[in-house]
Amino acid sequence: MYYFGLINEYLKNYIKSRLTYRADFWVEVVSDLLFQATNFIFILVIFMHTDSLGGWNQNEVVFVYGFFMVPFGIFSCFVNLWGFSERYITKGEMDRVLTRPAHNLFQILLENIDPPSLFGSLIGLVIMGISGANLGLPFEWWTIPALIVLSLSAVAIYTGIYTTLTSLSFYSDAPTGILPLMYNIQTYGRYPVTIYNRAIQVLLTWVIPFAFVGVYPAALFLQRDEMKGMALLTPAVGAVFLAIGLLAWNYGVKRYKGAGS
Amino acid sequence: MNAIQVQDLRKTFKVQKNREGLKGAFADLFKREFTEVTAVKDISFTIPQGEICGYIGENGAGKSTTIKMLTGILVPTSGSLSVGGYVPYLEREKFVRNIGVVFGQRSQLWWDIGVIESFQLLRKVYRVSEQDFKKRLDELVERLELQELLNRPVRKLSLGQRMRCELVAALLHNPSILFLDEPTIGLDIVVKSEIRQFLKDMNREHGTTILLTTHDLQDIEALCSRVIMLDDGRIIYDGGLEDLKQRWGTGREVLFQFGNPTKLEQLEHWTTGMPVVWSAENELGAKVWIPLDLNVSDVLGRVVGQADITDIKIIETNTDDIVRSIYQSGSAEKPDEMAAALKDEREALHV
Amino acid sequence: MSDKLETAVSSSAGGSSAGGPQESSRRLLMGAYLDFIRIRFLTMLAYRVNYYSGILIYSLNIGVNYFTWMAIYGKGESLGGFSATQMTSYVAVSWMARAFYFNNLDREISTDIRDGSIAIQFIRPYNYVLVKMMQGLGEGIFRFMLFMIPGMAIAMLLFPVQLPTELSAWVGFLVMLFFSFLINSQINVITGLSAFFVENNEGMMRMKRVVVDLFSGLVVPISLFPGWLSSILNFLPFQAITYLPGSVFTGRVQGVGIWNVLGVQVFWFLVLLIPIIWLNHAARQRLFVQGG
Repeated sequence: MYYFGLINEYLKNYIKSRLTYRADFWVEVVSDLLFQATNFIFILVIFMHTDSLGGWNQNEVVFVYGFFMVPFGIFSCFVNLWGFSERYITKGEMDRVLTRPAHNLFQILLENIDPPSLFGSLIGLVIMGISGANLGLPFEWWTIPALIVLSLSAVAIYTGIYTTLTSLSFYSDAPTGILPLMYNIQTYGRYPVTIYNRAIQVLLTWVIPFAFVGVYPAALFLQRDEMKGMALLTPAVGAVFLAIGLLAWNYGVKRYKGAGS
Repeated sequence: MNAIQVQDLRKTFKVQKNREGLKGAFADLFKREFTEVTAVKDISFTIPQGEICGYIGENGAGKSTTIKMLTGILVPTSGSLSVGGYVPYLEREKFVRNIGVVFGQRSQLWWDIGVIESFQLLRKVYRVSEQDFKKRLDELVERLELQELLNRPVRKLSLGQRMRCELVAALLHNPSILFLDEPTIGLDIVVKSEIRQFLKDMNREHGTTILLTTHDLQDIEALCSRVIMLDDGRIIYDGGLEDLKQRWGTGREVLFQFGNPTKLEQLEHWTTGMPVVWSAENELGAKVWIPLDLNVSDVLGRVVGQADITDIKIIETNTDDIVRSIYQSGSAEKPDEMAAALKDEREALHV
Repeated sequence: MSDKLETAVSSSAGGSSAGGPQESSRRLLMGAYLDFIRIRFLTMLAYRVNYYSGILIYSLNIGVNYFTWMAIYGKGESLGGFSATQMTSYVAVSWMARAFYFNNLDREISTDIRDGSIAIQFIRPYNYVLVKMMQGLGEGIFRFMLFMIPGMAIAMLLFPVQLPTELSAWVGFLVMLFFSFLINSQINVITGLSAFFVENNEGMMRMKRVVVDLFSGLVVPISLFPGWLSSILNFLPFQAITYLPGSVFTGRVQGVGIWNVLGVQVFWFLVLLIPIIWLNHAARQRLFVQGG
């Protein structure tokens, strides 16, 4: 209850401070979507020259793309750790966070909340709708609940991976440049992982499980039975990686050295 | 009851050594070298409830590191500490509800929105009831004269205004212990004295324990009954400000203005048997140095009846000088020797 | 840096009798510029975690792209004039090139402008834009030598990527790569300096990044785009960053064509100098007349 009240309060403050710079809001929405458009254009161009990518047709690949955008939008809105090392470690804002009576990671996430990203999720739903209709996918009673559960599990996976990586900045005083690189890797979860060789498949499934934020869960809706088992595993993977992330974070906070002396 | 209890507290940091040049940088890629730096070296002290204690030392002496351990930000390497009945780093989130922290160089307020919005949010974070909040806010706002500032965004406030708002933000939940890290840094004299007065009143009315670090010794003189002085991670002095002056002040000086020319020999003659040192300022003025164990009035008694005095001025050694000389010696352990040295120096000047 | 500068001072002081004071101060300044490359290189080297993860991620990037394209080719006919083998080396080479030409100069410059530190930079006795370019070069050399070469070696062990074996192809590639760096950095500098005139250029910077990745041929070779789009792209500078050098390296462009490619790169390099000089001038005006 306490934490829900805080979300509300922080959101209010976000809106208030954002009203001062209204133009920026739309700039951010548009450029966010543009970033994602790169991959969409890639898919479109590819399918101008071929009609199957490892046995998946254009509508299927586009559907996976749409699904991918949903949890990613939610994640980017609520778990925005981009400038953490710079702002909280180098500039020392972590000190302030640690002297307040709410969980420190929770405070940091709320301070960096980024609602424009949610537009991505919305567009993702639209893309899923269109490509799903093209494919004639059935709309079952479990479609919506499954979408919610799988999206939240995917958000948990993202959160786990990124908090683990971000907590590295507690140990080394170097600003971590890994996040942008990771950003590149995660987009690979949008394509049918079966096209990659064994090593990369294992990597994207069990080590940095980005296949679970895109193609595996989407396969459930696409009725691709070969990945159904993986799709159902998504919540478990989400739980495991979230737990790893939080443990790494809490351990990191204990090792926090503070900025300067 | 003790508000803060610290026993053999130690904090060691591992600092990465960067080897020089391209070759060194490549070597660092594969094998890192670290040096251990001990910022706080087994310090112990207790602060009773309701005390205002100044925590001073040069840059890098370990002040901030101590404060960060006391507020739960850093986990100590060894030693034990208890603040307001909690071990700060163990139950941090519960613990911090009883303390207030102000870092003079960093803001805890939201930059773009009205100050009041930040306060509202802090109310939620600290779980203060609406009633308590209102009462407390009204009191603080009135006391610090913030009425007009409440709806202004922080970025439009002057440093002095912002600092007063920071104090309110740290005190909304009525903490029993307040930590201030350089609270008056960069402020003008008027705001400084306002803030000092406010802190003093708060300590008197609410019995708030205050621990402050500062480089401004005026803060200490105005506020603190007790001073802890740190040098290179160790406590080199812990006691009252008066004691500090007593132990370190080498004596007092009295300045006389005479109605007619008075010879130095004459003055020395009047005070024979007293360990005082006279020096002439000009024909009509002279100065006498009186060691601490001698009463000023005794010396005055010998002179006043005899000479035609137009003015007398007693000069106390000020804290700045004392602290500077302690820093220079690096220890408050042997004030006698230092004092003797200082005295020698003075005598040398007078010869 | 200071010690290096000092040695530069003493050495030029010794040689001043030969070259005259003008000459020696120019040499001193050149030394300072080269030093910016060195410093940035060393700075990048200081972050060990970044280094190890960088190699891993770069080899993964090459691998994933390789397999994606293999899947697209399926049975191995040709796409947009690329055979499957050519495509794999094109992908490998374009990522290798990106390691070298990529930098965040746009972000660095607009940060300098927004926090006002550019004023200090402008009154220092060097050319700000040139210094930024040097820093970008230091970063590029770092990424190329320490991310890309090991990353490529790992990728070649794991996946059948084929690279040319003739020396001439490599020499040509390196020259063109340098121009790729220049053109991309010029575009970054222009985007960065625009922060002087646009209140929030965040959107512009993101847009630029998408446009460069997409239209330079990094994501998809330009010849795979629909005809109307690829003919428009022929008139834009972006193809000179990845697509053209990549085509030479994979052997799709040969003989006189190679000189044409180089010509296009030089052309765009010169053309892009114009807006930079103008922006730099206008920025100075704005800074010193209006006080930031």
